[in-house]
Amino acid sequence: MSSRDHAELANPFDRSSVSRRWLLGAIVTIGLLPLVFQDSYWRTNLIVCALNVMLAIGLDFILGYAGQLNLGHSAFYGIGAYVSTLVITKLGLPFWVAFLCGIVLAGAAGMALSMFAVRLRGHYLAIASLGFAVIVHQVLVNWISLTQGPLGIYGIKPPPEIALPGLPVISFGNSANMFYLVAGFALLFYVLLDQLVRSPIGETLTAIREDEVSASSLGINCPAWKVFAFGAGSAVAGAAGAFYASSVGTLVPDAFIITESFTILAMVIVGGMGTLIGPVWGAILLTVLPEVLRGFGDLRLVLYGAALTLVVLFMPGGIVQAAQIVRAQFDRLRARLEAG
Amino acid sequence: MSTVLLQQGINGVVLGSLYVLVALGLTLIYGVLVQINFAHADVVTIGAFAAYFFTFTFGGNYLASIAVALLVGAILGWLVNAAIFAPLRERGSELLPLIATIGVSVLLQNVMLLWFGPIPYAFDSPYSNQVIRLWGGTFITGQNLIIIVVSTLTIALLYAFMKFTFMGKALRAVAQDRETAGLMGINPNHLIMLTFVIASALAGMGGAMLGPILVLTPFAGTTVIVKAFAIVIIGGFGNVEGTIIAGLLVGLIESYTTQFVNPGLIDIVVFTLLLMMLAFRPTGLIAEKREENV
Amino acid sequence: MSDDISGRVAGQADGRRNSDKVLFRSKSLNKSFGGVHAVRDISLNIPHGGVFAIIGPNGAGKSTLLNLMSGLYQPDSGTMSLDGVDLVGLKAHRRVRLGLARTFQKIRLFKHLPVLDNVIAGFHIHHDIPAWQYVLQGTAFRRDYARCRDEARKLLSFVGLEERAKARAGSLAYGEQRMLELARALATSPRLLVVDEPAAGLNAAEVEKLLDRITQLRAGGMTVVIVEHNMDLVMKVADRVLVMDYGQYLFEGAPAEAQVDPGVVAAYLGA
Repeated sequence: MSSRDHAELANPFDRSSVSRRWLLGAIVTIGLLPLVFQDSYWRTNLIVCALNVMLAIGLDFILGYAGQLNLGHSAFYGIGAYVSTLVITKLGLPFWVAFLCGIVLAGAAGMALSMFAVRLRGHYLAIASLGFAVIVHQVLVNWISLTQGPLGIYGIKPPPEIALPGLPVISFGNSANMFYLVAGFALLFYVLLDQLVRSPIGETLTAIREDEVSASSLGINCPAWKVFAFGAGSAVAGAAGAFYASSVGTLVPDAFIITESFTILAMVIVGGMGTLIGPVWGAILLTVLPEVLRGFGDLRLVLYGAALTLVVLFMPGGIVQAAQIVRAQFDRLRARLEAG
Repeated sequence: MSTVLLQQGINGVVLGSLYVLVALGLTLIYGVLVQINFAHADVVTIGAFAAYFFTFTFGGNYLASIAVALLVGAILGWLVNAAIFAPLRERGSELLPLIATIGVSVLLQNVMLLWFGPIPYAFDSPYSNQVIRLWGGTFITGQNLIIIVVSTLTIALLYAFMKFTFMGKALRAVAQDRETAGLMGINPNHLIMLTFVIASALAGMGGAMLGPILVLTPFAGTTVIVKAFAIVIIGGFGNVEGTIIAGLLVGLIESYTTQFVNPGLIDIVVFTLLLMMLAFRPTGLIAEKREENV
Repeated sequence: MSDDISGRVAGQADGRRNSDKVLFRSKSLNKSFGGVHAVRDISLNIPHGGVFAIIGPNGAGKSTLLNLMSGLYQPDSGTMSLDGVDLVGLKAHRRVRLGLARTFQKIRLFKHLPVLDNVIAGFHIHHDIPAWQYVLQGTAFRRDYARCRDEARKLLSFVGLEERAKARAGSLAYGEQRMLELARALATSPRLLVVDEPAAGLNAAEVEKLLDRITQLRAGGMTVVIVEHNMDLVMKVADRVLVMDYGQYLFEGAPAEAQVDPGVVAAYLGA
């Protein structure tokens, strides 16, 4: 399905030391960002960025690794958001329990969709997932007694303060702390998914993506693994939803229309499908760029559409492929210089 | 009561025939290319806007504007195929073209949004207000009558074309087995282009006739396209007869759901039906199974 | 032949090396597609060890029979068993765990992945580390990882592709791709290896090489089934033959006898 070349065959344990450096770099960057951006507008953007990273890596796990064309990712986002919020408001349970509920239910929905669609190939699955997303959105809009419909739910509180003995109270009304929380989880999910991808599980999913019949002939239970991938990816989306609700404070069904699925898809493709780090860059780029081009606020979606189309046509491996090309050019240049 | 039933039945047929026009384009493209063109929706919207501007800005005849929209649709179809599907076909990827068309769709919709704005355009066709009395106390507007007549004519023409002309048979040959058709002297690329042009022309036409019925915004096409997908699946990808039946069916379902249940639930009903179809009969109402060759 | 390959086979076939015992048995298998009755009433007994050939002219139903054996299709009627375990209704991937592996006539490698990764994919059912190790990747994980890479390289050298371990599978020559498919199937440690039209598209030298490997596998105790339409080729290496035509049984027995059986001769030389 993907026409880009697979990454190098080097011992990944060599890469783990590189990864540890990257990890450290990521932690430091996350730590510094709220200090650089002090105004609430940019801090909100940072939080949205972290949420988009979560959504993008979840979708990449499903789409880029297991090869399942999921156009309904917005549904899992919405399920996570609404379930966690309703668990708090209607059942009065604490935030972290609600958070877990959001993740579990979004993951379960993903697995249900996958089990339902398990016999469906490519395009059928795409339409089925789209249909699923439309149904979820319509349910959110129409089940007014539960979700308050288009009017939305207001006044959602951020996660409760954490008071550890001997340390100052960590309040999440503070947007910097909220960012640290969300970005921290995004990093955690990234590391988890990355480990999975570097393990035989990643090999299995890749085999399924490349050729299911072949994979079955090697003993791989394709339906089961597809359900697993869907469940994992959608669970991460559910977590993002829970954080979305508690950081933005208001919840309307239109935050989860199918266009949102396309947006997340754009981030995955532009970043580089099937690389996990690519979607991170894609999410960051497509969240930050429209804000940088301020004044062209409405251009955001035009940008997404153009980026998605152009990337698919001319650089299907996205940012990661572009980076590899650039690096190859550099290496060639260096070799030529060294040769004299 | 029976008047209401009959009336909604008529409305359902009107809606249905429009959906069929749009869905036929999708199914034709899928039949020949095994690809879904997400940007199909926007051809409908652009067709509607083309008709609108032709009628109101250039003062043209409404009926002529349908022809204009057809032309605009045809050109768009040519463009989309030339720019996206043809180049990507070389790469042999199954999912990339679909994703590309999603990109084009998002792009087109939002460019239109910037250009035309989000406020709905009042597209009143001169026939919208003409009322013709029918039997049993029901009536039909002039606009709806035109829709039924034009759609039926077009669909019949298309059907005849597919079944009886050489081109039509060639199209079906390419749909069945591209390689063999190529060996028989048919140039699949030309035929694929022809398919695109026909499909998009139909969509444009559908848009011109939908304009007065729907809320005309840059997103008008999207409301139709998702139902068109449902129709294509229910009828069977690539199956012309199935699409016609399924389209009428969905039109009727929508019409009756609006009348007797909650209009807000239409999407849910149609899509649940879609998911049911996918669960139990993914190849559609009439289509045959395509066995995978190992 | 490397000890590891024979060890791989011996480990699976322990205690059951008696070559008189039947490994795969089918009775009255039937499969139709629409109007075409592709496999009619086929009963066969494949003994342990040795090379068993299923031959017949094109369209005889050989590939369908193979697909029934490997689980890609389910039979309309009839029974199949591998070492006594009933196969009917069992999904394809489960049969691999029982020791049944296959290659494809139309090469189905993971073309975008490196050669080594293709082979490693075959180890899927043989990872014996607990699930949480996939995330935490401690010592047990690293050991398993190293073991897989080692065994994959050994399989690659068995088929003569060691040099190409890092190349993209799609960049290999056709003959090399066939050998890679063989290596990948062997990675699942099969007891019964079914090879579909192995000689298709290969030149004489490549066919020799392939037959040589199959002979080595047989020497190590593996049971190999070859599906072929080229009679001469098969005669060189098969111990037993099943001849099919129009989905039906024509002959089963020693290759030399097959060559002179009037029914077989008519099928191959007749219209």
